Amino acid sequence: MDTLKEDLKKHIIEQLNLEDIQVADIADDALLFSTEGIGLDSIDALELIVLLEKFYGIQVTNPEEGKEAFLTINTMADYIEKKRK
Amino acid sequence: MYISAASTVSHQPTFQNDGFSKVIEPLGESSELISPNYKEYIDAGLLRRMSKILRMSVTAAKDCLQQADVEQPDAIVVGTGLGCLHDTEKFLNNFLTIEGLLPPTSFIQSTHNTIAGQISLSIGNHGYNMTHTQNTLSFEHALIDGALLLGEGNSHILTGAADEYIEFLDEAAAQLHPRPKLNLTSGASFFVLSGEKSEKSVARIQDVQVAGLVQDADAAIGTFLSDNFLNVSEVDLILYADFNAGTSKESVAYEYFNAHYHADSKLINYTKLSGLYPTNSAFAAHYAADRIKHHPELKNVLILNGLNKDNLGLTLIQSLEA
Repeated sequence: MDTLKEDLKKHIIEQLNLEDIQVADIADDALLFSTEGIGLDSIDALELIVLLEKFYGIQVTNPEEGKEAFLTINTMADYIEKKRK
Repeated sequence: MYISAASTVSHQPTFQNDGFSKVIEPLGESSELISPNYKEYIDAGLLRRMSKILRMSVTAAKDCLQQADVEQPDAIVVGTGLGCLHDTEKFLNNFLTIEGLLPPTSFIQSTHNTIAGQISLSIGNHGYNMTHTQNTLSFEHALIDGALLLGEGNSHILTGAADEYIEFLDEAAAQLHPRPKLNLTSGASFFVLSGEKSEKSVARIQDVQVAGLVQDADAAIGTFLSDNFLNVSEVDLILYADFNAGTSKESVAYEYFNAHYHADSKLINYTKLSGLYPTNSAFAAHYAADRIKHHPELKNVLILNGLNKDNLGLTLIQSLEA
């Protein structure tokens, strides 16, 4: 699970061009879409959907599901694990 | 209309360098873009997504507004010949190589009007927002639009032009006949154009005319000068661009004014200074304004844009005393 979270952070940094952010800077429970967390926006949400399909083969078809899944790195990793089973 | 402020990001030390026109030399073979510290002008959240052309443009635009002490212009008008090439290339590569969903950012930012849009987002502007793409005359069209807006009673218009170099352009240029002899470069120049003269005014743009599919360039130049009640001898400086800069016989400017390039001569090929990109006449406009600011004896500067032999752009920039 920890490896998955690290990989996820690497992909997010690369895919979203988070130039000044390192893997260690993203806490597992930091809110991804809050300015107090990572400060992502709606275009990033679309990029995350593409990222899940590209690297994990997961299609987010239900928008409500995505809302919950993209809260933090922890929730994203849980979502990936759940969908993989 | 008056130029209240000008800012250029280019391969020359133009950015925040008042008097640059006196010190710059023709570009060498391997010049590089001189990038300012973009983080001083663009929020980190926006900057991370921006390609070179967007970074250059937003930075030059914001610098311009700061210089002019204008918080919100009445309109933003941008000219670009080839638009956001980097994002276009990235999107097309994604399109060809990725199966399934495509990343949205490069698609969204591949359109030409992203430049004017990002400037407006960066400063929170809700005014008229327009992009002109007319090959090598894109900047001149943006200027004409700016002049029309000022004529309608607006006070300050942010007008500029930008184009970016990507490696693919070298491949494309190698297929052209004749091949361009000058370096392909990137550049963004922005201006605050104002309807009224003020203490910020640097120079006046007296006239701009464009001629697409020009048949008789000599006649067009002659008409332009007579429209502005000028003899050839009254033009103090001619800034010109020709696609075939090495062959003077094919040069519209050379034929008309019959002179050679020299740093102090009346005739300067600005493409040798800016490098080659479709909107480098915007670089010339900033160069002209900078020359006029520091040499008040220059009354009339003509920018003769013949970069594409079928298109002719004519811009007359005058000192405030002219």
